[in-house]
Amino acid sequence: MPRIVRIAEVTWEGSIARGGGVATARSSGAFTLPVNNASRIADPDGKTSPEELLAAAHATCFTMSLGSELARAGTPPEHLDVRCTITMDEVEGRGHQIIHSAIEATGVVPGCDEAGFAQAAEAADAGCPFSALIKASATVSVTASLEGI
Amino acid sequence: MATDRTVSTTWNGSLLAGSGVIHEAGSGAFGPLPVSWASRAEEANGKTSPEELIAAAHASCFAMQLSSLLAKADTPADQLETSATVTFQVGEGITKIALTVCGTVPGIDAAMFSAKAAEAKAGCPVSKALAAVPEITLDASLS
Repeated sequence: MPRIVRIAEVTWEGSIARGGGVATARSSGAFTLPVNNASRIADPDGKTSPEELLAAAHATCFTMSLGSELARAGTPPEHLDVRCTITMDEVEGRGHQIIHSAIEATGVVPGCDEAGFAQAAEAADAGCPFSALIKASATVSVTASLEGI
Repeated sequence: MATDRTVSTTWNGSLLAGSGVIHEAGSGAFGPLPVSWASRAEEANGKTSPEELIAAAHASCFAMQLSSLLAKADTPADQLETSATVTFQVGEGITKIALTVCGTVPGIDAAMFSAKAAEAKAGCPVSKALAAVPEITLDASLS
């Protein structure tokens, strides 16, 4: 199996409170994004944050896992929508911590019923590499429903 | 105070032949970004992937944590250049993250900078969330 490497870089200028940085996707060139601490812990004000990038990673990783599980069950999806919300909070004595990732998945899946879709979503959570990792500090919740039912 | 950040994706078709999009992020900072299995598992071909997004999250979280620690030690950084390289083994998961930092920090020596970088690596929220990654390495240097 291939070994895949992906690189991102950040340049940060100045203090955490007043300074700011730029995050660049070095492998793909797909994005160059400003980041700073105020937009991380308060209003985003048009800037992304580590947690938003993790939400994008988890939503994408879960989507691919779910598609794979549905195909394996003989009911490949036509269309999947996945939303991920990452929550960071201050935990007593442990500082800021990523505590939860909430996945909400909907899909158009010919030949699949609600129970089958829920089962595939559960298997996707178990199989998604990101879900497995983030459980070191966070809980993961998954809700799944078919569109138009 | 808890902060929530939300991102949505849509996928059409099968994993191998189909493709997806990461919609505009809640912050408005990025998206739509196209994604596909081929660009995740083979050549990136201009498209991002979960592993690259994790790399961006980790590199930026680590930079903020280190900036904060250096300021608390009365040696604030002029500039920090960080990178994260995420290694994904298909069928196995994320097996390694390599963090690097090159800093411009007046009044600090290499030993203290390395110590602060190690503390930032251990303490940043993304490191804690990804503590199950088998290997996370750090290479810290002053410019």
